[in-house]
Amino acid sequence: MPEIRMTVIDESGLHARPAARFVQAASRFTSRIVIRNGEREADAKSLIALLSLAVRLSSVITVAAEGSDADVALASLAAELSPYVTPIPANTVS
Amino acid sequence: MSLVLVSHSKSLAEGLRDMVVQVAGESVRVEAAGGTADGRLGTNAEAIVGTLRAILADPGDGVLVLLDLGSAWLSVEMALEELSDSERARVHVSEAPLVEGAVLAAVQASVGGTLSEVAAAAAGATSMSKAPGGASNA
Repeated sequence: MPEIRMTVIDESGLHARPAARFVQAASRFTSRIVIRNGEREADAKSLIALLSLAVRLSSVITVAAEGSDADVALASLAAELSPYVTPIPANTVS
Repeated sequence: MSLVLVSHSKSLAEGLRDMVVQVAGESVRVEAAGGTADGRLGTNAEAIVGTLRAILADPGDGVLVLLDLGSAWLSVEMALEELSDSERARVHVSEAPLVEGAVLAAVQASVGGTLSEVAAAAAGATSMSKAPGGASNA
């Protein structure tokens, strides 16, 4: 399951408008997409699930996708989140 | 899919509409039906009927109605009685909290949700925490 990791740099965390944009972007793909914040995991296509993750400034989040369009979905979602996060290179050990 | 926001206050309904459209985007039609005909606090069945009919004139559209307080339910019921059976079948009245319900419903509608999917998204607002991750001052 390919995944990308990033650190949230927006002072407001992932607030309503970017969260909604993220859900809208994720919903364009058939892959199952999840977003993780620590121990919690949410369906990336559900706004209520995403808002319940409590993503804040400095949260390290992971977006993972599984399905035929997983790679293009992750690339698209990384672009969607880019104003709010700093990507963590894939070879970095957590 | 369209939303109708029914509030006792015209400015509350219109302000929420602005917020919902900013969060969910312009693709979802959101109409405000707040206040009485003469500008006082209250709800107005005639205005709700007019708003519903304007939306339902588009044959493909379904409508989720959200309300601020239970006393608006009477006006909404009166409005529904004015509609034909086929119009009423395309309207769902949500019991969800108004703000959270409207935001969740509008985002679900913006990704192509059906009336039942949008109603289910709004219903999820009932259990939505204001303090995800725990309130710091509780």
